[in-house]
Amino acid sequence: MTAALAYEWTRIRTIRSTYWLSAVAVVFGVGLSFLVSMGLHFSMQSAVPPKPSELTGIGEGIATQFAVFGVPYFVAYILAMIAVFAWGHEYRHGMVRATLTVLSSRTAAWAAKFVVVGAWVVTVTLVTTLLSMLVGWLWLHGDGIAVFSGDAWGALARALLYTLVFSWLAAAFTALVRNQTAALVLLFLWPLAVENVISVVFTLVPALSRHSEVTRFLPFNAGGRIIAQIPEADGFLGSPLSVAGAVLIFGGLTAVAMAASLALFHRRDA
Amino acid sequence: MTAENGIEVRGLVREYKKGPRAVDGIDISVAPGEIYGFLGPNGAGKSTTMRLMLGLDHGRGTTTFDGMPFTSLTRPMTQVGTLLEAKPFHPTRRARNHLRMLAAANGLATSRVDEVLEQLGLTSVARNKPRTFSLGMGQRLGLAAALLGDPHTLILDEPANGLDPQGIQWIRELLRGFAATGRSVFVSSHLLSEMALMADQLVVIGRGRLIASGPIEDFVKTSVRNAVVVRSPQAADLVDVLRREGATVETTEPGVVSVVGLDAARIGDLAYDASIRLHELSNRVATLEEAFLEATQGAEEYQAHQAQKTHRAGETA
Repeated sequence: MTAALAYEWTRIRTIRSTYWLSAVAVVFGVGLSFLVSMGLHFSMQSAVPPKPSELTGIGEGIATQFAVFGVPYFVAYILAMIAVFAWGHEYRHGMVRATLTVLSSRTAAWAAKFVVVGAWVVTVTLVTTLLSMLVGWLWLHGDGIAVFSGDAWGALARALLYTLVFSWLAAAFTALVRNQTAALVLLFLWPLAVENVISVVFTLVPALSRHSEVTRFLPFNAGGRIIAQIPEADGFLGSPLSVAGAVLIFGGLTAVAMAASLALFHRRDA
Repeated sequence: MTAENGIEVRGLVREYKKGPRAVDGIDISVAPGEIYGFLGPNGAGKSTTMRLMLGLDHGRGTTTFDGMPFTSLTRPMTQVGTLLEAKPFHPTRRARNHLRMLAAANGLATSRVDEVLEQLGLTSVARNKPRTFSLGMGQRLGLAAALLGDPHTLILDEPANGLDPQGIQWIRELLRGFAATGRSVFVSSHLLSEMALMADQLVVIGRGRLIASGPIEDFVKTSVRNAVVVRSPQAADLVDVLRREGATVETTEPGVVSVVGLDAARIGDLAYDASIRLHELSNRVATLEEAFLEATQGAEEYQAHQAQKTHRAGETA
């Protein structure tokens, strides 16, 4: 396993896409938090500043690029592409044969990818959230707005968990389909289009609207609940889902996809 | 590192749900110290056999490298070096980084990476991206990867592809030097003239089955193209004499016959006894290409037949 980790660690560090995707994630995340914090700071200085009730959860929002308010956590989407490429390059460039002739254990090669990719995306997410909180604090600490709050640290932890599970799901799906283009398309199409369309259908069609609560079980809808703060969460799998319920659904899907990808990685020809 | 037991392949089989077996019960023994050439027509199953040997494809049978299956090797590169793809690397990962990555998996020092880059003449392009490499340069990088762990065995699929004549000569000398140190080399190629110069032993397959294996000279001797060429002003009389002795005689041009089934000395004696004058009596040795084409004729016909059937099916559809 040590050999596989060393291989994967060198692999992820010697490809440019790792760096530019990480940089895009950090710049996008920190930049967005910077702009919103700056705007908020000037609003606080204006003649009609926002009411304290309008500033609830602002620290968590700045830390997570407002994913706590239900906005898709784009940092995770960007970093999931690193996970897609981790497996996609194996098949697109025929690297899988080179990999399996230097690492004779398929399980070790498979596991090392998930461990190293997971560690990388968690680290980049941590850097992004910490820098986001820092720029938020720099703009807002004089305005009486707490950025480094207990809730913000909680949001940070949930953002790390969500990004990790999302990247593993992306990696597992790419390993299953062995096609990074298909994986990239689905990675964006499914959560951003398909699930939204299904939710809209459930809302608009009268016969279905009574059952619209079932859309909370859609995988990415559920996944989003890992970060999104909805105080009225009712029970483990109630509506809306609790964070633990969201982890169970999104993480469960990821675990199934990972198990299937490992089984097929062993079974398929390289 | 030298290999004591070489490569032992036993009962290798690869079958798909439809169609005939791609590899059908192949046994191969590769002894250390010699170069084994692996030949077969396109689609004969050479690449599949190599992938099966390395555990990359799933099938039946066993392959051991110096007594160990590939999947049991803890640091595979230090024991078996492989080249299976024309360009087995990511196009934008720099050549040196590609080798560093492979080295990391087997605990090899970066200084070893620089050594093989030097050995393969790639030092000047070590920091270039392989997408800019020619096919020949790509092959050199693939060979550098195969040699990185200083293994006791090399498995190479068409390593001379894309190399210029100097490159082919270079790889021949490289592999000869490698085998001379008591290590095993198993190499496929479609360049028969190159194989004739490089290999000591041949393994020939067709339609997934073993057709021949053994020393290259023995394989060539089996060809019906091995003949004695006789030039005589009394060729017609000579033909009668030789046919009475059971030889197969073919007139290749006026006054020249090609004889199979009798050696030159016997032909000379028979001509002398019959008072037939000879102007030339020489052995014509078949080329490896002729022997190969004869040996794989059935496989070629099968391929053509299959292609024709597929083409017809396509037309019907």
